Amino acid sequence: MEVSKKKTPSPVELIDWLNDEGVLELEWDFPEDGDLFTAGLDSMAVMQLVVAVEDRFGIELGPEDLTKTNLATPTTLAALIAAKI
Amino acid sequence: MNRSTEVFDVAVIGGGSAGLAAAVAAAREGARTVLIERHGYLGGMGTASLVHTFCGLYLLREEPGAVFANPGVASEIATRMIAATGLGPVRMGRLDVLPQHPVEFVRIADELVLSEPLMELMLHTQLTGISRDTDHWDLELAARVGPQRVRAGTLVDASGDAMVAMLLGVESSMIEAPRLQRPAYVFGVHSSRLLDDEARLQTAGLIVEGVRRGDLPADALGLAFRSSGRVGENFGTLDLTGGATAADYDPLDAFCLTRLETTGRLTACKVVAWLGEKSEFWKGAYISHWPTNAGVRESRRWIGEHVLKGEDVAAGTRFEDDIALATWPMEFRETARGPKLRYPEGNRAAGIPLRCLKPAGIGSLYVAGRCISTDHDAQASIRVMGTCFATGEAAGRAAARKC
Repeated sequence: MEVSKKKTPSPVELIDWLNDEGVLELEWDFPEDGDLFTAGLDSMAVMQLVVAVEDRFGIELGPEDLTKTNLATPTTLAALIAAKI
Repeated sequence: MNRSTEVFDVAVIGGGSAGLAAAVAAAREGARTVLIERHGYLGGMGTASLVHTFCGLYLLREEPGAVFANPGVASEIATRMIAATGLGPVRMGRLDVLPQHPVEFVRIADELVLSEPLMELMLHTQLTGISRDTDHWDLELAARVGPQRVRAGTLVDASGDAMVAMLLGVESSMIEAPRLQRPAYVFGVHSSRLLDDEARLQTAGLIVEGVRRGDLPADALGLAFRSSGRVGENFGTLDLTGGATAADYDPLDAFCLTRLETTGRLTACKVVAWLGEKSEFWKGAYISHWPTNAGVRESRRWIGEHVLKGEDVAAGTRFEDDIALATWPMEFRETARGPKLRYPEGNRAAGIPLRCLKPAGIGSLYVAGRCISTDHDAQASIRVMGTCFATGEAAGRAAARKC
């Protein structure tokens, strides 16, 4: 699914986008509040995520943004991105 | 003492996880066994390359609790490791893994060897040539004293790179360079505090920032840190492309491996220095340990009486002559940007038949470890140390029984 630049993504759009970018391999029915760390979001995937977010949304996530709370679920991640756009 | 005329029942080439298990198993079967290793200690990837997790030891299952897939030398080493580190199996996502400490693994391997009166260990020795007369293998070895010879009735190739196939000049198999599993450069880093999850995430953010600003090379994006479980002691694992492009990687070429080692060290130094400047957590951190070898995941493979296929691992296929279970999902690291895991249907473990350990058309010879007869996809499952212990044990036992 295409997510246009500078547009705030919904949690469901983020799930598709994370799959498309190869950051994570999530099931099609992965819940909006599912645990991304259990789904494989390790520190290397986080680096890919930051690079991909910058490419797609034009925003820079810094070390202070990368907390367990912010990255916990598609919902919290969408909120983090929305706050930066 | 001139031991040049010594004749053994079994010779094992390579003292990594597979070769160690093979030699122990052969000696326990009553065979006079010699284990030949190029470094000054055993353990291979788990010691010389600082790979600090035993994967493939446990069954893949939904239920909590780790269950050994291949009881035997594998569970014996795991039990000794748990006693040494105080750390039990950990569930990472869907997988149970055992944290292992390279320093403890070296000692455990020594103890296993010393407890086998029928086993001789030759460290600092490399196989350079091989020939076969009517009933013996004649091994040419390079040692500091000069060329040495050893004779053995049966041979186990646990070299990881199918070195015996190369020296015999028989056909072997290797996937084209762009699809090879990428190598990992693992090093030790000392920090003043225990690395927790929050610190790991922030470190990832710092590294991206360093790359974005041009202070760090793009290679740094393949780096992840993990605590050894001991305060202040961490491992950095850097997945590398292995060349200017994926097609330039050749895990058997000395010049390529040399670039891999120097690129690994250079990148590690830059990142640790940069983190020390930018982060309170990493202030005063220093590199405490280099590996002896960069960690190669895949290279040359034997072609055996059977070639285990990725489809078999995906379906959890079993065979009549299974000698071990493959329980690790196919873990593809064809890029230096993290793994892609392919799990078997229904978490079923696939069988590894003895025929995958028997080179086609050559008697008195067995293979163990990551270079057994499989295709590229199946190798992505069976290459891990937990499974290598099991194929090693089976090869050693079969060699001693000459079956």
